[in-house]
Amino acid sequence: MRLFFALFVSALLLPSCADVSAAMFAGGDGTYDFKNEWLDPEYHVDESKIHLMNFRSDEDTIYALYVGDIAQIATDTIILYLHGNASSMDNFWETAGLFANLGGAHHYGFMMYDYRGFGWSTGRSTGAESMAADYDAVVAYLESQDLTSDRLVVVANSLGSLPAGPAAAGGSRIAINKLVMEVPQSTSNVIMQNATGLSLPSSMITSYKFDLGKNMADYTGELLWMHGTADDVAPFETAEAAMQQHNGSYYQEAIYQDMGHGLRWDIGDEEWAGTILDFIRR
Amino acid sequence: MSYKPLTMVRITLSLAVIFLAASCTPTKIIVPLEQGQWQVGLTQGRPQINDGFLPVLGGYAAKGVSDARTNYGGIQFSSLLLGAVQVEGGQVRSWIPQEGFKPGVSWSYGGQAFMSTRDYAFRFYPETGINAYWKKGPHILNASANTWVDPTWFLADYNRGQIIAPSLSAGYRLRYKWIEAQVEYKMLNSIRELHIPQAYIPSTAGLGGRGVYYGIAINF
Repeated sequence: MRLFFALFVSALLLPSCADVSAAMFAGGDGTYDFKNEWLDPEYHVDESKIHLMNFRSDEDTIYALYVGDIAQIATDTIILYLHGNASSMDNFWETAGLFANLGGAHHYGFMMYDYRGFGWSTGRSTGAESMAADYDAVVAYLESQDLTSDRLVVVANSLGSLPAGPAAAGGSRIAINKLVMEVPQSTSNVIMQNATGLSLPSSMITSYKFDLGKNMADYTGELLWMHGTADDVAPFETAEAAMQQHNGSYYQEAIYQDMGHGLRWDIGDEEWAGTILDFIRR
Repeated sequence: MSYKPLTMVRITLSLAVIFLAASCTPTKIIVPLEQGQWQVGLTQGRPQINDGFLPVLGGYAAKGVSDARTNYGGIQFSSLLLGAVQVEGGQVRSWIPQEGFKPGVSWSYGGQAFMSTRDYAFRFYPETGINAYWKKGPHILNASANTWVDPTWFLADYNRGQIIAPSLSAGYRLRYKWIEAQVEYKMLNSIRELHIPQAYIPSTAGLGGRGVYYGIAINF
């Protein structure tokens, strides 16, 4: 026992406190070559409506893409897309094209952005604070263009669910009243516990603590949750437990048997877009 | 530009450390040391993630308190790097002596303690195991079964906890005079599916993980 306690006390003095949260972000290079030639013809956009922007987020610069008329922000519904854990917005250009044609060509304005360390956005995403600051930088711009809560739709894909949760729970300067959670995670603890099979909390390896279940319990607006039961990145059971904490004004599930994390690719654009469009219009 | 589905997104090596750091420690002592004998060693676990192996480094010290009982304590350096203190301690007892080809059996018990240096969250996992071994001269072959017990399984989110986390292993050790070399193959927590986002953990029938562990120790 003396040996055990001696080791324990010694170990307290040694940790370097490296944090895996930064390493979990798969940010990488981007080209931002947003052109119709990369899109299926049905998702072509008016290239004059493609706007690459950047905003300050703390000491860093965040790059964002807006597809639509800038003036449209003051009058129309705007979809803010929080993308998943891929290197940059490049990977979601096709998604942008789809949203730009949702309900008709440029019927809705569409915006997405790269978190710090993704694409051209500078710095490094490190956790809840950096993700919240990046989100706020983009929403501040939308607010400056007179976007109001009743015309904001937030669509969060996978990693995007992490900043979307706290934002929906009251952390957004434009209150969220319509939220789509597509293949969301659940809690940071669940990731740790699914990896180890033990009751270890995520604080053992990271300071990035998130709890989408609690966020959904605090979110009062409308929620559409989309998930495949065969998702091997964001496990279905725990995502379900988190999303069903929602206690807001409207709740809708779109569950797809045997479908995986690449939900749009698995179920097809028509079903994917139709489900989201119905939710926006309701 | 590339347009890859999210399932094709790359996994960073550090993400895999989540699994490596917390769930993988090799068996320290199989055959109890002689009374008064010390053994100090370094271990490198190599659990499989995706198509490769990644190192988990640890160290341990053991002392024979009698010819039938050896106390040990260890520390996982990989966990320290991530901000968690992970130490272990316990005792190995000789249970049934080896007789010819009939294997000897030893029994171990102890615990693993984790503490986060971020919020001081603490977990303690008692563990027990049984080892069958064949020792001939400097050669030791073993087959072992071990389980961690999770007394705080109810603290896991969304009822994902489990009370036991068993593992099976087989290994070879060369204990020659003052030095011991160790290699062990281990199947980890083989009663549940382990999962890391955007990573693949090679498993046995879809359950648990597996890995190869190496160790080098000196006896004095």
